[in-house]
Amino acid sequence: MSRWSLQIALILLPFNLVTAKTFADQQVSGKVTTENGDVLPGVNVTLKGSSVGTSTNPKGEYSITVPSESSVLVFSFIGYGKQEVTVGNKTQIDIQLVSENQALEEMVVIGYGSQKKSSLTGAVSSVSSKELTALPVISAEQALQGRVPGVRVVNNGSPGQAPIVRIRGIGSINYASGPLYVIDGIPSGDLNNLDPKDIESLEVLKDASSAAIYGSRASNGVIIISTKKGAKDGKLHVNLDTYFGTQSAWNKLDLLNTDQYIQYATALLGNAGIAMPGRLSDLNQPIYNGATQTFAQTHTDWQDVLFRKSPVQQHQLAISGGNNVSRFFTSAGYFDQEGILVGTNYKRANFRVNSDHQIAKFLNIGQTLTFSYDKTRGEQGFGGGRTLVMQAIRNLPYWPVYDPTKAGGYSSPTAADGSDPDNPLRIASMDVTRTQRIKLLGSLFADVAITSFLKYRFSLGVDVVTSLGSDRFPIYNDGYKSRTQFELRDSRTSYFSPVITNQLTFDKSFGKHQFNITAIADKQTFRSNTLNGTGYRPNNDIDQMQGVSNPSATSSLDESSLISYVGRLNYEYGGKYLLSGSIRRDGSSRFAPGNKWGTFPSVSLGWRLSEEEFLKAVPEISELKIRASYGQTGFNGIGSYAWQSLVSADNNNYVFGGNKLLGSYFSALGNTQLKWESTAMTNLGIDLALFNNSVTFTAERYNRNTDGLLLEVPIPNSLGYSSSPLSNIGKMKNWGYEFQLGYNKNDGDFKWNASVNLDITRNKVSSLATENAALFSGKNDDFGGFDIAKTEAEHPIQSFFGWKVDGIFQNQAEIDRYNALDGDDQTKYQPAAAPGDIRFKDLNGDGTINLSDRQYLGSFIPKFSYGGNFGGSYKGFDFTLYLQGVQGNKIYNGTKVIEQGMLRLFNAGTDVLNAWTPTNTDTDVPRAVSGDPNNNSKTSDRFIENGSYMRVKNFNIGYTIASKPLSKLTHNTITKARVYVSATNLLTFTKYSGLDPEIGVNGSSNASGTQLINGIDYGMYPQPRTFQVGLSFGF
Amino acid sequence: MKRNLILTYALILGVVFACDDSVLDKTNPNGVTVDGYYKNASELTSAVTSVYSMLKANNLVAREWFFLHDLRSDDMAAGGGQLETPRNQLLLGTYDSGNSVMGTVWLAYYRLIHRANSVVDNSEKATDLAAAAKARLLAEARFLRAYSYYELVSMWGGVPLYKNYVQSVDGSLPRSTDAEVFAFVISELQAIQADLPTTYNAANQGRVTKGAAQMLLARTFMQQGDYQNAKTELLKVYNSNVYALVDNYNDNFLEETEFNKESIFEVNFFPSGGVYNWDGDGNGATAGTETVRTQEYSGIGWRNVIPSNSLLNEFEHAAKGDAKTDPRLDDSFYFTGEKYNNGASTLTDGQQNGNSSVLNGVTQKVSWQKYSLMYKMNESFLTGGINQRIMRFAETILSLAEVENELGNIPQAVKYLNMIRARKSVSMPEYPTAKFPVSTKDQVFTAIVHERRVETNGEQIRNRDLLRWRKQNKLKTEPLTYFQAKKHELLPIPQQEVDNNPKIELADQNPGY
Repeated sequence: MSRWSLQIALILLPFNLVTAKTFADQQVSGKVTTENGDVLPGVNVTLKGSSVGTSTNPKGEYSITVPSESSVLVFSFIGYGKQEVTVGNKTQIDIQLVSENQALEEMVVIGYGSQKKSSLTGAVSSVSSKELTALPVISAEQALQGRVPGVRVVNNGSPGQAPIVRIRGIGSINYASGPLYVIDGIPSGDLNNLDPKDIESLEVLKDASSAAIYGSRASNGVIIISTKKGAKDGKLHVNLDTYFGTQSAWNKLDLLNTDQYIQYATALLGNAGIAMPGRLSDLNQPIYNGATQTFAQTHTDWQDVLFRKSPVQQHQLAISGGNNVSRFFTSAGYFDQEGILVGTNYKRANFRVNSDHQIAKFLNIGQTLTFSYDKTRGEQGFGGGRTLVMQAIRNLPYWPVYDPTKAGGYSSPTAADGSDPDNPLRIASMDVTRTQRIKLLGSLFADVAITSFLKYRFSLGVDVVTSLGSDRFPIYNDGYKSRTQFELRDSRTSYFSPVITNQLTFDKSFGKHQFNITAIADKQTFRSNTLNGTGYRPNNDIDQMQGVSNPSATSSLDESSLISYVGRLNYEYGGKYLLSGSIRRDGSSRFAPGNKWGTFPSVSLGWRLSEEEFLKAVPEISELKIRASYGQTGFNGIGSYAWQSLVSADNNNYVFGGNKLLGSYFSALGNTQLKWESTAMTNLGIDLALFNNSVTFTAERYNRNTDGLLLEVPIPNSLGYSSSPLSNIGKMKNWGYEFQLGYNKNDGDFKWNASVNLDITRNKVSSLATENAALFSGKNDDFGGFDIAKTEAEHPIQSFFGWKVDGIFQNQAEIDRYNALDGDDQTKYQPAAAPGDIRFKDLNGDGTINLSDRQYLGSFIPKFSYGGNFGGSYKGFDFTLYLQGVQGNKIYNGTKVIEQGMLRLFNAGTDVLNAWTPTNTDTDVPRAVSGDPNNNSKTSDRFIENGSYMRVKNFNIGYTIASKPLSKLTHNTITKARVYVSATNLLTFTKYSGLDPEIGVNGSSNASGTQLINGIDYGMYPQPRTFQVGLSFGF
Repeated sequence: MKRNLILTYALILGVVFACDDSVLDKTNPNGVTVDGYYKNASELTSAVTSVYSMLKANNLVAREWFFLHDLRSDDMAAGGGQLETPRNQLLLGTYDSGNSVMGTVWLAYYRLIHRANSVVDNSEKATDLAAAAKARLLAEARFLRAYSYYELVSMWGGVPLYKNYVQSVDGSLPRSTDAEVFAFVISELQAIQADLPTTYNAANQGRVTKGAAQMLLARTFMQQGDYQNAKTELLKVYNSNVYALVDNYNDNFLEETEFNKESIFEVNFFPSGGVYNWDGDGNGATAGTETVRTQEYSGIGWRNVIPSNSLLNEFEHAAKGDAKTDPRLDDSFYFTGEKYNNGASTLTDGQQNGNSSVLNGVTQKVSWQKYSLMYKMNESFLTGGINQRIMRFAETILSLAEVENELGNIPQAVKYLNMIRARKSVSMPEYPTAKFPVSTKDQVFTAIVHERRVETNGEQIRNRDLLRWRKQNKLKTEPLTYFQAKKHELLPIPQQEVDNNPKIELADQNPGY
């Protein structure tokens, strides 16, 4: 039973390959159990050296007739160590099979099938269901962080926002280059809707040879998820998992109090010759008409106002069971997370039924189905590109949170304050942006065994998502800003995507040659209908679109399709030499005629040295394999109609007289030459296991070259097009190393294991449209108003780019000296410089500071990232400690720009009290002057910080109550119980001075190129620290 | 048998579902292809409408355009510390090629030009309308294109000159000389005059008229110092009998008196319930049609800018010994204590966030009144529908005064100037006055500079006047304190253009940047 596909067949059809013949000699019977005493049905019991055999029944019992006393019975079962027993004179042989922790015998799910781990030739990493459920997070994506070398996960914003997942570097400049998620064979979107507790296994296909089977969608890696199935043990399993947790922000910025604020405002405005706002000289006024409290008595900590302790909870009830004919897994789950920032939350309810049935010996039919509802209320405030964190920094310390005299109940500083921050609590509480999704993901499949070596599988999957978006912006008047109409927006999107797959698998051995050949024809279509409505109500009485003025409705339709033909050969010689090759041909409607089809081949080789005689003599080595692979993959994540040039018909307006006419314009060039982006990847790997697999080590080296990069051509604005056409220009390279080391000690009372992984990834853009083409990104007027990052050939994508600080001008003489550097003191070094301003480095030595003096200031990409997991158990107790970190990356600290930039009068960080003055010259904070005439706040290394961090991502201690006394105590109601306490993001070690070093890409909708603002902290939603208590019961 | 049946069925299913390649042909159902558009009157009209739509967008006249002109003139001061960085840079002269306000206006003018080019180049496909109607539509688009080039060339010097829409990504052009751009503007404005009507009916108000084309042509000639040709065009407007000065100066800036006799070309804004369209290009079929100017400038709004002391003190004032305080001072600005909101509210110091001004030695809060909705409202957020007058008849007369003076006809020049001062609501004493003698060309020029400044303050005219007079060496003193010769004459070519236009190198950048 060493051939992998037969093992699969065994899972599905435990009896179909076994023929029971009768011998008149000796009858042996017995019972097979696990080390815990659980019965094991379906265990193969064979007579060594013959084809005679049987398997255990649902009670774990077997009966077999053997020819002689010297007969040897072989007991084997997947996941358990094989045992051989000489019959002798026994008629009753009870066997305890020991669960096998030999990782190398694990089955690994791969594209369109599964494979024995020892036969793998590609770079595939598996993540266990235990690892996926260790953290109190919404999705498996978040749980992946730090688990797999080569997979970089950055949490990104408020609950429900999908994290950024990048496998082996960055694959695309203009597009979100996330992996393809294949759930039970259905390529689907993000994983928010999927309860991680439903996941049986998650595999990351990292290299091109394993991913190429998914062809045009595999360039950014593939994550394959299989959901749970029932056991065939004839028992009903009922499990209840539940936890409650509390989350809070773990860090806080150091901001000015009222006295400090007045001191700062005096300097800031005074130096610019601006009069002090009236309020600051008279804070003894009531905070609103009729209030007894005065501004002087008000001390608002806006961070405390916005951040809160918030609960998180998850519950799942799972019922599963089955026998030789049918099995099922049913679960219902509920997840509820309140964000640590007011006004953010995520809720999900999900339900699943998976089942499969052996209809006939040659026919197995099954289905998976999940129904999930989720509701997200996201962080508000991106409309103006301003995050809540930013608003919290900027609001004034003497300003009250509430004002019952104002429409809406909140107030904001007025003209008398000389400052106009928004009240962030008003935004977070009143303004609502909510998305509800109902997702149905299901599949039906039929496996037909045509012969013992030829199988046919038909599967049909559907992915249906109905999404309801609602935005509510009620009327308010906070005394400075107001909204006079209640703005309502509703959107409905229905997405329907069926996929049909026909698959033929040939699996047969000829002597030492083993072949597995797969042929697949596959079709997936995507259809998305969107309807958007907007209207304005005169009051806040009704929050539905009734009686609205200025109503508008728009709808759109988006359709695309993908047809694929796939062939794969896996060949193995004597379990030593492994060869795998695949080819996929994809046709996509997203490209112009003539360019619709793309071909994606791959080949890989493996050599299991440990199977060679010369290494078999070294018993310490249990496995040694070297692997090499090459493959090509593609990317088609562009819009459905990107190659077509269109007139935006009736998409704007102009009023003539009093009549509004609609206008049409030609917004973007098309490109009929548009074709597949293609990525070629080579991979070298080595797998080593020592001391009976207790030490395992894997190392990989890869080279990933993307050619024909789908890129919006950076066209000059003078061409007049609103958006740039897509073109296959540019090349990018990613390369790196991955290491994973594990240790297991599975005997004795104290069992423990440790695993560490290390990921080194490098990225370089090899070429863009033209030699000098560059993409600038990150510019935001609140954050200095200059580009922050630049993408160009020969540099890592989106590297930070700006000036370097050379010191602070201490006096006018020094400024004069610099002005005269070029021999002409009329051409200024920095036109508006005054003592106390920053002196930037004159890179090109021309005696003046301008855009040519910018240089690269580092990359958001870590030099390396790592994860470490340590677990152990002693009798009923168990613990896990999980560390995760990144090293050597840079962050552009936008919160520091807000705290210390001194652009305009707002509250600021305490650092501004150390601003340069003629008497405080030993400082790196420039003088305070409103308007920042010298552009001290422009993009420079002043705001670049080391983004390295190490996190105690999770620490978990649990106690399992021994099952026997528990059963007794509860009259067999509860058979298993575990209680645990756990802390997530318990400790973070970092030098980063912002709120949290994990910086994704959101938080600034008005920065150009939303893909090219990684690592810029515009006031990122920080990751919470969570403490949780959980219970797990088995009934 | 059963097995074979199932197999056969499955294989048939497989063949049926997986082999139909025609599903790979998908056409975008949400738009019309370029080839299929511009083919009838209604599509051509829509295409022309979108050219106008660009003009009124946030990136142009609804916002960035007035900031760029005003901040580069000496009419403005910062309202306080809240003026955003790129705007403040323009005010202080510390801007560089990365300045976003400037870059945005450049981008928007070129998008407008592209839309106009697409109309002109594709217009022959439309055959269902009369030649004259089509010619008028095209003339409107060509006017707006010429206007864009006129603005670009006067602020940036020679710019890339696209006379047709660009059909491929490598179609970018190098800078033309400013003479080439001016020549194109002039030939276009001469060519389209015949196709444009002098007036429109109420339903088409806001469209380009013959007078607008003539006035823009006059501006173009003046910017080049060609006074003779400017005079010809100005006289066409002056003698058309279409235009006159309105009695009340303020009627040029109110919502109720749009498209009056004095108006030559306006950008039409329309109340949309306080909904401002923040989309840079002004897109969105049902998007708002308001301007944010009131909010940006008003005393009770953001008050990002206030009139400069130099502007305030330019006005003749009794306190300085002038015969009469110029009524346009009070018409253009709100002073503390002044009534607004139809007389129902009184403006206080506390309502006016930020800096004070010094007028005749008195420190006081002064805020912009021109184009402000405060005259009839008391809302803290004010966007609205007051049309932005781009050209009005007063400018025609002032320009006539200037060209006559340049051509040596002093009495005629003074006569024109006095027409402006004779407006009913202004009624200022005629030139010569004690302060403004008008016996020499130089004296008349001084009077013209004064009169243009007080008459058209805050109307995005002063910046261009300074550019023109500076170019022709007529400025006696440089009004911009930060001014650095060989630098601040022109704006820098936006960095985005230098970076991405292979035909423009760093060496092609304007001097000083």
